[in-house]
Order: sequence, then C-alpha cells, then structure tokens
Amino acid sequence: MSFAHLHLLLNHFPIIGAIIALGLFLTGFVGKNEGLRRASLILFVALALLTLPTFFSGIGARAAIKDQPGISAALMDRHEGAAMLALFVMEITGALALAGLWRIERTPRQQRWSGSIVTILIFSILTVGLMARVGNTGGDIRHPEIRFGEGTNETGLSAFVHMFEPSPDRFTELMLISKWWWAFIMDLHFIGLALLIGTVGVLNLRLLGLLKRLPVAPLHGLMPWAMAGFGINVLTGLLAFIGMPGYYTFNIAFWLKILAILLVGLNLAVFYLTDVFPTVERLGAGEDAPVFAKFVAGTTLFLWFAVITLGRYIQSYNGTIPVR
Amino acid sequence: MVPPLFLQSIEDSGLSTWLRESESPFAFYFVLLFHTFGLALLVGANTVVDLRILGYVREIPLPPLKGLFRIMWLGFAINACSGALLLIAYPTKALTNPVFYLKLAIIGFAVWVMKMIEDRVFGDSRLDESSMMARGATLAKWSICLWIGAITAGRLLAYTYKYLVYP
Repeated sequence: MSFAHLHLLLNHFPIIGAIIALGLFLTGFVGKNEGLRRASLILFVALALLTLPTFFSGIGARAAIKDQPGISAALMDRHEGAAMLALFVMEITGALALAGLWRIERTPRQQRWSGSIVTILIFSILTVGLMARVGNTGGDIRHPEIRFGEGTNETGLSAFVHMFEPSPDRFTELMLISKWWWAFIMDLHFIGLALLIGTVGVLNLRLLGLLKRLPVAPLHGLMPWAMAGFGINVLTGLLAFIGMPGYYTFNIAFWLKILAILLVGLNLAVFYLTDVFPTVERLGAGEDAPVFAKFVAGTTLFLWFAVITLGRYIQSYNGTIPVR
Repeated sequence: MVPPLFLQSIEDSGLSTWLRESESPFAFYFVLLFHTFGLALLVGANTVVDLRILGYVREIPLPPLKGLFRIMWLGFAINACSGALLLIAYPTKALTNPVFYLKLAIIGFAVWVMKMIEDRVFGDSRLDESSMMARGATLAKWSICLWIGAITAGRLLAYTYKYLVYP
C-alpha cells in the first residue's frame, strides 16, 4: 500500500462522517432522543481521531504524485491549507464532543445540555463546511472536469474561507522559526504525557487490583485531566508534524504510534460503551473488578506505554519508509 | 577551557561506547525509553496526588492515594538507573552543561517535597482529609512547579549542550 492509496482510503471518512454525525446531532435534538445525541458525540470523537492519519497520509500522497504530468503544486497547496484548517476545527469539535460525553455521564438529566449544545453545534457545522471544501479542493487535484475555471482563483465564500487557511510552507517555517519554540512544543508534549499517564494510570491500576482501597466511581473525575493531557499532546503533536512533515511521514515508528492511539480509542469504546464501565463504576473500596474489566484496563495501559515506546523510537527510525 | 580528562576515559569505556554507538534498538534509545517510563510513573503519580491535595476531584478519598507513593519511588528508581546509564553514554555532554546541574537540583528539591508530602500528609493516620489538605497545600503547589521544571530542564538538555562528546 502506498500513501496515495492510504489517503484515498481514509479521506472520505472525515467528510461523510461529519455530515452523518451532524445529522444525528440535529435529529437527536429535534426528536429529543438522548441515544442519538450520544451517538453523534461518539461519532465526532471517533472522526477526530480518524482525521489525524487522514491528514498525515496526505503528505506522503503528495510526494507520490508530485512529479506526474498534470499535477499542480498550487492546487495541492490549496488542498493542504484547507485540510489544515478543517483538521484543527475537527479536533476542537472532537474535544468538545468528548467533554460533552463525560458530562452526560455525570450531570442530572435536566441540566445536561445547557450551554455546550450551541458550541458543539457551531463547531460541527463549521467542520462539515470546511471538510466539504477539503474534499472539493482535493478532488480538483486529480479531476480537471470538476474544476471551476483555471488555477486557484476563487470568488465568493471560498475566497473568504481561503483567507483563514494557512499556507502549508509558511506554517512549517513558523514551527521551525526558533529551536526554543520547538523545545517548548516538545516540553509541553512531555508534560501532557505525564498528566495523561498519571490520571489514566490510576484508574486502570485500580481496576487491575493495585490501589484497591480506592472506590472506582470517583476516579472517573480524573478523566477531564486525562483529556487535557491528551488534548495538549494532540495539539503539540500536530504542530510537530507540521514543522517536519517529511520526517514523520516516512517513519515507521510514527505510523505505528498513530495506529496504537487509534487502538486506544477502540479500547475506550469497549470500556465505556459496553457494560464494562457500568459494572466497574459500582465497585467500592476493596472490591475486585471482573476479569474482562481487568483485561480492558491492562490493554489500555499496555497501549499507552506502546504509544510512549513508539514515540521514543521515532528519532532512531528516521527514513524507514521509502519515499517511493 | 578543555573539559576534564576523566570524561574522556568514561566515553572510552566499553559500556559507554556500546550505549552510544550500537545500532541495536536495545542500546541508547532503550535506556531513553525507560527514562520516559520512569518520568510517566514518577511525575504522573505525583500529579494526581498534588491535584487531589489542592482540592481537585474532591470525590476521591485522599488517604488511599498513599499507595501511589510506591509507584513514585519505583519511577524514581527507574530514572536514577536509566539516568546513570545516559550519563555514562554522554558524560561530557551532560557534565559540561549548567542546565544538567540545574535539572539535578530541581529533582533533588522535588523528591524532597515528595518525601515531605509522604511523611507529613500521608504519614499520620489520625489526620482527617481537611487537615491533610491544609498541611499539603503549599507542598503540592511546589511539587507541581518543580516537576514541570524538572521535565523542562530535562528537555532543554537536548538543545543546550556545548559538546556532544569529548572534543
């Protein structure tokens, strides 16, 4: 499989997925259907994760086709800039959705949706619009039959949106502007790591049987801190990728790290969306978790340590994927 | 000024050379990996205890968090050992950089604060939660700042060194 192939496989998910998730969200509110609202938030979180490899694979896809006849660098630049803007808005939507899911679990029914609904609605509509533009500008690269006019000249709404889209090369230069800025990004990445592993670690170690004197339910209160740690690391990780796109793209450790993060997402789904969470939530001090819950907790911890391991080895696996 | 010669003798030793130059994934990067594991355990567990002492996630009962100190000390032990190996791999790089001494000093203070929290906040089983929190509040604030400082100083080592190996 090449990056061009991987990019084509992944790139429909954020676009179509965001439309479906927004549809579920709206239907859930109009029909006052709690299940649909929840499903839409879960879908947004999953899409926010899936958008990461979609974006990352774009750099490799670009490298694969850049010398082919009829391929315009300007069109690819426009697509990449549009993708960067849509990516950040999608990640914000995913973060809001995750925070929303956490709140549903903890707040009484009548107070659940105040305030956050408008924010999520605005960001999900923005996501759908921007993702549509990413698809459109991406399609233009290979499909001259759908292009409006010549080159990258734009009018109306697309010209307006284009003003907010970064120029990929300049964004990259900005990340490399000073080694102290880079050091700062990396520093935050390690601080986020400590926050994430500490909070997630306590919950999972408790389920595995260490720290058994702790009741399980209150540990769920640590999850916003875990989300904050993960949020810091997604942001700083994205900035690092944008700073050195080629370095990460052609690196096997980087891709396995992304795969491990997606598996963490899958594992979280097993934990929160099956009966594992409702079962363990009732465990008081000294009570033992069921075997399957321990298995999920062990897998989560293993995957997070795999993420750290693969991240650490990125430096020594530089250039392990051929450009062609 | 030329760095002291003993740094060169350490670098010439078999262990130092192997750690630095081996192509094996179990050489330098493996040690660095364990240094990161140790960081996650040590700082991660400290963060949870500090946040709770400062009154966040108040629904978690405070006394059972004492069990986290075992994890902190395990993380500290892993990092003392992996740190020593990293120092053996690049002694000139570390010991000619003032930031390295700053990092050690910050860690010294942070571990001292950690021990104080363990003894004064969690060591007295007669204390109720509010007196534990009152006793630990200042220590917990210091702890968070010092661990952020330790991570920052550690990260800076990659950007501030004067010599990578003995000149």
